[in-house]
Amino acid sequence: MSLPYSFKLAVSSMLHEKWINMLSVLTIAAGLLFTAIIAVTIYNVDMLTKKLPDRFSVMVFLKENLPQEELNNIIAIVKKDNSVENVRYIPKDDALKELKATLKNTEYVLEGLGENPLPDSIEIKLKSDAVSPDTVKQLTTVMKDLKGIDEIEYGEKFLSSIYSLRLGVKTAGFVFAAIMISGMIFVCYSTIKLLFYRKVQEIETYKLLGATKGFIRAPFIIEGAAMGLAGGILSLVGILLLYYSVILKLSLTIPLLKALFFPINLSFILPLTGLFLGILGAHIAIGRIRY
Amino acid sequence: MIDFKDVSKHYDNHTALRKITISVSKGEMVFITGPSGSGKTTLLKLIYLSEKLDEGHITVSERELENLKDSEIPLLRRNIGVVFQDFKLLNNRNVFENIALALRIRGEDDRELKSRVFDALKIVNLRHKADSYPQALSGGEQQRVAIARAIVTEPPIILADEPTGNVDPDTAAGIIKTFKDINARGSTILIASHNRELFRNTGRRVFKLENGNLAGEELG
Ligand SMILES: Nc1ncnc2c1ncn2[C@@H]1O[C@H](COP(=O)(O)OP(=O)(O)OP(=O)(O)O)[C@@H](O)[C@H]1O
Ligand SMILES: [Mg+2]
Repeated sequence: MSLPYSFKLAVSSMLHEKWINMLSVLTIAAGLLFTAIIAVTIYNVDMLTKKLPDRFSVMVFLKENLPQEELNNIIAIVKKDNSVENVRYIPKDDALKELKATLKNTEYVLEGLGENPLPDSIEIKLKSDAVSPDTVKQLTTVMKDLKGIDEIEYGEKFLSSIYSLRLGVKTAGFVFAAIMISGMIFVCYSTIKLLFYRKVQEIETYKLLGATKGFIRAPFIIEGAAMGLAGGILSLVGILLLYYSVILKLSLTIPLLKALFFPINLSFILPLTGLFLGILGAHIAIGRIRY
Repeated sequence: MIDFKDVSKHYDNHTALRKITISVSKGEMVFITGPSGSGKTTLLKLIYLSEKLDEGHITVSERELENLKDSEIPLLRRNIGVVFQDFKLLNNRNVFENIALALRIRGEDDRELKSRVFDALKIVNLRHKADSYPQALSGGEQQRVAIARAIVTEPPIILADEPTGNVDPDTAAGIIKTFKDINARGSTILIASHNRELFRNTGRRVFKLENGNLAGEELG
């Protein structure tokens, strides 16, 4: 098989059928651009919410004047749980000190309180991969039945809504990306199929002259690859333009947008995805070659 | 080189060839003749597997065609140069590229290719038409391009289906002379034609087909 000749055939076909090729490239570019926007959104939601488990903790407020024995018992039971990273006992005096430190110059609000109003407490940190509404619920139901515990506090609503958001955004994103990718494979598929059908007569002659399947396939695979790669590069240009012109300008007025990250990996993921989709589409379009 | 044993070929409900047994040795040049529709083209097609035989056995260069794997078909065809009755020239390529295609399919690189194509064009007297497109050629010129494409690869076997169907008697004689020269260099050649003038006084074997039957064999 002579590869240079296959490239020559592919190039001549691309020039000859430039409109249909250009249309496919634009369609692929648009599809990849949308997918990339979705990916950037997911990426940002992920980045913003990833750090949350580290800050998450469960506060357990204890009954007043708990005997040391019961306290040890509670700590032992909590520590046994697999999802628990560490447990810290905070006597009420320490809690007051911490509170004073946070209030700093506005310490006067505490004046006149007389006796320390805060209860003793335990702070439970969970392993970051174990932080989810389910594990927290499991842990707290165990603890609720223990004697000596007054109240358990954790951002229940907050935790579960963050989790639904993460899950929702990811699922929607993947479903959307899957649909877009199938669509783009179909675009490559139908374009190459069309070009293949236009050359059926020619291909019959190739076969009779002794061409291998590789010789017949190569120009179409190259054409599909070029189409996909061009679409991928174009979508990268599109998303960079979008990021730098729109987002950066808008962030002057909406500062929140400044926090958006641009996943630098996209600069090779997009062209490679395009390339892969093009090759796959072309491959399916050619199908089995029989003599 | 080419052996047919009790070969039959049916198209739908029509029998195109019936129990044909012939044998062509390496280095031979033979003719196949018979009226239109007698099965000449079909017989050639069975050799390069454009059609599959229905009964019997065919051996080509030690390959048993009944058992040939799909992947071996290109290799078989690269050993055979075919002058198709309908030429099968590609209209989107000029004469040079049509002939070069046979070499490119065999993976020939560009350096040797040019001189080989021009040598083939010289043999059929069409050097001056290298840049023309098939539509711009006369029927006889197209036929000679088809011949050039079949011989440019110097294959061990050449099958020519009515290679003089569109040319005047003088040109026809020239073409037969060309085949004789190539045959003299070792290629095995089968020529199908209803034109008896082609093989008169050649001293070559002639197979006569009639209605799909082998009606006889004579010397030209
Ligand atoms: N693809 C096909 N499908 C059905 N019948 C066919 C097909 N090809 C050939 N035939 C029939 O088989 C018979 C033999 O055809 P073939 O082309 O071999 O004849 P031929 O001797 O080459 O004729 P000619 O001198 O006109 O070229 C004819 O009756 C023809 O109609
Ligand atoms: Mg015929």
